[in-house]
Amino acid sequence: MDFISNLALGLSAALTPYNILFCFVGTLLGTLVGVLPGIGPTATIAMLLPITLSLSPETSLIMLAGIYYGAQYGGSTTAILINLPGESSSAVTALDGYQMARQGRAGPALAAAALSSFFAGTIATVFVAALAPPLTKIALQFGSPEYFALMVLGLAASVVLASGSVLKTIAMVSMGLIFGLVGTDINTGAMRFTLGRAELADGLNFVAVAVGIFGIAEILRNLEVTVQRIAVVKRVAGLWPSREDLKTIFAPACRGTALGSALGVLPGGGAILASFASYALEKKISKTPERFGKGAIEGVAGPEAANNAGAQTSFIPMLTLGVPANPVMALMIGAMIIQGIVPGPQVATSQPVLFWGLIASMWIGNFLLVVLNLPLIGLWVRLLTVPYAVLFPAILAFASIGVYSVNSNTFDLYVMAAFGVFGYVLAKLEFEPAPMLLGFVLGPLLEEHLRRAMTISHGDPMVFVNRPISATLLVVAMAVLAIAFIPDIAKRRKEVFVEED
Amino acid sequence: MKPTLTIAALALSVTPVFAADYPDRSIFMVVPYAAGGPTDTIARLTADAMSKSLGQQIVVENVAGAGGTIGARRVADADPDGYTILVHHIGMATAPALYRQLPYKPLEAFEPIGLVSDAPMTVISRSDLGPETFEDLLAFIKEKGTNVTYAHAGLGAASHLCGTLFMSTIGTRMTTVPYKGNGPIMTDLIGKQIDMTCDQATNTVGPITQNQVKAYAITSEERAETLPDVRTTTEAGLPTFKLGVWHGVYAPKGTPKEVVEKLSSALQAAMDDATLKQRFAQIATIPATKEQATPDALHTKLDSEIKRWDPIIKAAGEFAD
Amino acid sequence: MDIKNLAASLVLLVTGLSFGLTSFFGMDVGSALRMGPGYFPLVLSILITGIGLAVGLKAVTVSVPFHPQYAPVRSIVAIIAAPILFGMTIRGLGFVPAVLLTAISAAMAAKGQRPHIAAVIALAITAFCLAVFYYGLGLPVRLFGPWIGV
Repeated sequence: MDFISNLALGLSAALTPYNILFCFVGTLLGTLVGVLPGIGPTATIAMLLPITLSLSPETSLIMLAGIYYGAQYGGSTTAILINLPGESSSAVTALDGYQMARQGRAGPALAAAALSSFFAGTIATVFVAALAPPLTKIALQFGSPEYFALMVLGLAASVVLASGSVLKTIAMVSMGLIFGLVGTDINTGAMRFTLGRAELADGLNFVAVAVGIFGIAEILRNLEVTVQRIAVVKRVAGLWPSREDLKTIFAPACRGTALGSALGVLPGGGAILASFASYALEKKISKTPERFGKGAIEGVAGPEAANNAGAQTSFIPMLTLGVPANPVMALMIGAMIIQGIVPGPQVATSQPVLFWGLIASMWIGNFLLVVLNLPLIGLWVRLLTVPYAVLFPAILAFASIGVYSVNSNTFDLYVMAAFGVFGYVLAKLEFEPAPMLLGFVLGPLLEEHLRRAMTISHGDPMVFVNRPISATLLVVAMAVLAIAFIPDIAKRRKEVFVEED
Repeated sequence: MKPTLTIAALALSVTPVFAADYPDRSIFMVVPYAAGGPTDTIARLTADAMSKSLGQQIVVENVAGAGGTIGARRVADADPDGYTILVHHIGMATAPALYRQLPYKPLEAFEPIGLVSDAPMTVISRSDLGPETFEDLLAFIKEKGTNVTYAHAGLGAASHLCGTLFMSTIGTRMTTVPYKGNGPIMTDLIGKQIDMTCDQATNTVGPITQNQVKAYAITSEERAETLPDVRTTTEAGLPTFKLGVWHGVYAPKGTPKEVVEKLSSALQAAMDDATLKQRFAQIATIPATKEQATPDALHTKLDSEIKRWDPIIKAAGEFAD
Repeated sequence: MDIKNLAASLVLLVTGLSFGLTSFFGMDVGSALRMGPGYFPLVLSILITGIGLAVGLKAVTVSVPFHPQYAPVRSIVAIIAAPILFGMTIRGLGFVPAVLLTAISAAMAAKGQRPHIAAVIALAITAFCLAVFYYGLGLPVRLFGPWIGV
């Protein structure tokens, strides 16, 4: 097979001691910086980018790939340990990961995240190597109607995320959607809900909102008792997942890998849905859905696998079309140009060593990540034994610097403070923040694709049902919604019958 | 003390010492767009090359937002000591027409340092659109009018300016479809979801040479080296349809003359840098000549571009705030 | 009365109405086929307001005891002040004072924290941030800003 010889070429390029060293350094730096609260993968890569520019193109890209995986894993670590997600996908990891940490199972949660990420990364690398061109063809079938339908499906699935009232969850998603619309309307240039501030013209900063609504709200909840009595973790149980844990996470990791690989290929925001979709799926098919949100290890493994697989396959549009699927890919493209490589479909033929070396280094990066992080788990878990009186001011300082570093924008810090208060109020009123965050990232995409689809079709709404992919996705969305509401209805019916008896 | 007096006093006491030793610490170069984009790339390459002759590091700081106006305002308000400078593109000249509440005046708030680069635009379409030549395309648009979809990357983006100029030159309106950034446009164009756009050659050379999109014309005086088969708009019979995405370096108003001169000569030296020349060529960008990389040349360019775009944008009736 | 859900309903009503009224009066709403900038927000606001009403109506019909635990006002103020202080001082005072102020404010948030311990914690955090962000990562900031004459 062709791709095996290509992969061998890539491996031989990537597996020089020199490149392995830089891949390792990249993974290490990415992990260390990404683990700082409030600093997500995009900020980490932007900060570490200049270090790579003095290296040769291959080595520099291989190191960047290492930084990318390290930063992502570092972000998940922060989400699990202190409930502070640095990007939308780790908001899902925080749901059950943080609960596990509170129960003293931070070790197994981190290991589950690392192992399922590695598993997903391995499968997805083969996917990228073998199927990049055909997958690109499928991705190109997705126009705005299809993306709109996909987002609707994602929102329908988000209702399943709820562990409390369905009505309140829908309210949270809608609130997230509307917060996502703050800023310039791209169709008309009109300012929406910007309160006259130019800083809000590009919308609310995701990291500021996420840190506020998750991190600051969580700190305030912990500060309800006096400093001597605060302890986030009562006790630390085993560091390693038990045999039973491993058995439990295998199937979710497989399903997460499949979902993530498929969604990651779509450059119009598909990857955003991967971890949310995986979580919703695991909860739906679980025999004990009530454990989700209270420390279910499947709720960590599935989304982490999906996220990592999606991260991998989101390289496909960049490699085959030269089009960035997300801000991280845009940074990679910038780095390539500065290195003198013009990204695009010609890279595979004009620079085969670089192209296949990069793909091979994805796997090496994932491998090194596991090698590096399994021993580090002990260290991360020990971080939880740092007195909380020291930990939370540090979290706030890091988060402030992290939020500021994204755009050098001081206004983002005020947004973070405001959402901290709002998040605390919401938490006290038993609203859940994760569905809101999903709405926040999907809001602009949903509206953008809806209105673009209508513009391109010259105002004909039939465009959503006439196109097969979009029609299918919308039908699936209806089905998901129906499934979400049926247990409620069934339960009520049962109650009614009981009363009649 | 009144604020003006304080500033005056500070300027008097500090300036002479500064100018002689300048630069004795690292310089911040503000890029008003996100890291990884074309302006960021051009800024990083220029900063690197300029550092060499200045003997101090130039640190790139991305201050993104509101079509580049937040970063520009930051520099307009910065201390005029030469340690905060700005790289901005054609948006500097179009902002006064697009933003009714622009908090600074481009010609008055900055000391121009010099031009950096110019990149031509290419008119491209999905690969299966009917017309084969630029002339056919014009006839096609005139016949179909608003049935043709034209994608742009948001108000004020190069693709938006190009589209506005194109439509005002040929006197026919198409349906404009706004996107967030150039990446998604290219995906939709390759995927045949929209009809056409006009984008920097920087972004289009790859897809054009791979025949993933169809190219009709390039908006420069001469053909591009990387796209030898694409005719210029003059050759195709529409000589008034000309524009390029140019970049310039600016310092805040009141920066000492000596400092401006030092920066300007560093910029001129940078334009001669072998790596920079090679990288610019790869992304179909033309580095400024020695004469263009001067304060006077940038001032003249900015002034003429503001005058040129003002009526075009106002006639289109679009505002970004 | 279910006080908690009544408050929840209030939050939803306030959000829904303020966004809804802004979209309706301040923006071009358009129609379903030709959506203006206000259309999508208006639909969402109506949904949020509707849910707010439903939650509120249900809350007044049932009776649930409500004994919430709150963080002390001092903690809330100190925590929220931390990022705000950072934002107000990072450009004027520079990185070192800004981080120090942020960390002190945050460290004082813990109920029963003594000032000298908070100061030590804040100094340690500042030193760490200086090493990591400024020297390690080359964050483009000034250590001391123009307000203190550097």
